Amino acid sequence: MGRTSKEWSQKPDLPETHYVDQRVYTDPQIFEEEKEKIFARTWMLACHESEVSEANDYRTYRHPAGANLIVVRGEDGEIRSFYNVCPHRGNTILYDPSGNAKRMTCIFHAWSFDYKGNCVGLPREKAGYCTEDGCSITRGDLGLREVKTQVGYGGFVYVNLDDECGPLEDHIGSALDCMIEQIDTEPLEVFTYHRAVVHTNYKLWHDTNSEFYHDYLHVHNRLTSMKQEGYFDRKMIPFPNGHAEVGSHEVHYEAYGGSKSREEAGFPGMSGNPWYMVDLFPGYTYNLRASVLRIDSQIPLGPSRTMIEYRTLGLKSDTPAQRKQRIQDHNVIWGPFGRNLHEDLLAVHGQGRAIPSGASYIIQAREEDSTIHDEIGMRHFYAEWSRRMGRLASDPSRKPAARDLTTTPGT
Amino acid sequence: MDTEIKASRDVQEEVRELIYRSCLYLDNQDFAGWLGLCAPDLRYTITAYSPEIRKEMVWLDHDREGMESLFDMLPKHNSDHSPLTRHASVYLVEHDGSANEASAVTSLVVYKTQLDGGATELFAVGKYFDTVRLEGETLLLTSRSVRLDTRELGIGSHLPL
Repeated sequence: MGRTSKEWSQKPDLPETHYVDQRVYTDPQIFEEEKEKIFARTWMLACHESEVSEANDYRTYRHPAGANLIVVRGEDGEIRSFYNVCPHRGNTILYDPSGNAKRMTCIFHAWSFDYKGNCVGLPREKAGYCTEDGCSITRGDLGLREVKTQVGYGGFVYVNLDDECGPLEDHIGSALDCMIEQIDTEPLEVFTYHRAVVHTNYKLWHDTNSEFYHDYLHVHNRLTSMKQEGYFDRKMIPFPNGHAEVGSHEVHYEAYGGSKSREEAGFPGMSGNPWYMVDLFPGYTYNLRASVLRIDSQIPLGPSRTMIEYRTLGLKSDTPAQRKQRIQDHNVIWGPFGRNLHEDLLAVHGQGRAIPSGASYIIQAREEDSTIHDEIGMRHFYAEWSRRMGRLASDPSRKPAARDLTTTPGT
Repeated sequence: MDTEIKASRDVQEEVRELIYRSCLYLDNQDFAGWLGLCAPDLRYTITAYSPEIRKEMVWLDHDREGMESLFDMLPKHNSDHSPLTRHASVYLVEHDGSANEASAVTSLVVYKTQLDGGATELFAVGKYFDTVRLEGETLLLTSRSVRLDTRELGIGSHLPL
């Protein structure tokens, strides 16, 4: 029987940790607060070291807190990041998304900068800024704004806008231990990159990566995973700081028409066709399906709009045959024409359309001893979100109590 | 008119017609019709160059069997049912009479029309690079490389372009 308007808008008769108020996905003020309280203070995945493999290689990154960044590998081999903003009149310094620049030179007035962010070129410097009494501005005053940068966990470049932030290791902790041998034994290399701009809230994409009850959406997963032994034994494991691991199991790729085992092109230390997946707060995911590592990193553009970057990686040492195999494996379910990615994006697109216009609460109440269809991954994310935001996800007008900030199996 | 030149022009015209027919078949989701234009040794790819990672990318790569399998599985998937419309302009056709082959370059624009309301938006631009073989009186597509300029494709698609 359908519900009346009053019934529909009533809070669910569930613990407050088991549902989310729709305003968390739609309110512009909450989105602005997220930029300040979460994205500006958290390590974000900007790119992979293979995208800046040579000295003076650079890559641009649109940071979710609003700053446009440059990631550059110096002549000393170190990777650094800077605001992609000329300190003179605020022009963009590097327009192309990647390239190689011994000097990063602003097109406007030819101010130029080196890989350490030093201003090394200032046309007619003395004529404009110096008199017999001295200089009002010197090159030393005009360096670029540098951003904290660390490389790790598979060679990914992480950045943090907060000058006072702790090390990356404190944020990630042991969340990626399940696949660290696979991703850190030898260098990786990005072989595809694309992005999707979707009219939805970024958390809805992260939720989709954090719950596997939605395997019903994918015929590929129903055939290759759900119908296979061990699927329902997979455990969801929460980690500090809002991260969650989805336990591995053996995938039977050959059960889907036209697909085959990925065993021959596995990652180091791997046998068979395992599937490792870790969701990292606040919006990026490591997804290792035997032969291909996919990284999702989100760049929220507004409360109802997000840009998702997809990178897929193999080993830098791949032979042409191994790389070809990885590409084929990737394309079956991932990429813009993959079977699963389109389905996932269609679903979050549908949420983005429906939630602002009619949903009151999003329910995340499945409890199955933290196994694969338990929604503990989402609950764990929102406990961290509530802690950071000082707002209760089930009622963002209220501050969370201590009991709302812990996630243990069965709660 | 020289007989060979006339024959070559006839082939060029038939190649154009084959390319336009291939678009109509896909627009109508008549996959059997589309496969009817293809040779047993068909190779179909969708590729793009990424300026972000400075690499060539392959997003779809199938032989004929792979395309048949893709089409067979389509009804079992959850797909966006908004139709795609292909607008093709054949720029070049080159006929190699000695090899009974022709190659063609076609400009491609793909639109997506929302089922709910009928608004049409641009989905992708790119080119077809086709190779066609003349077998008796029949022309068959032996390779189609869809080369995309567009790389941001929204929620993507289950359909070939």
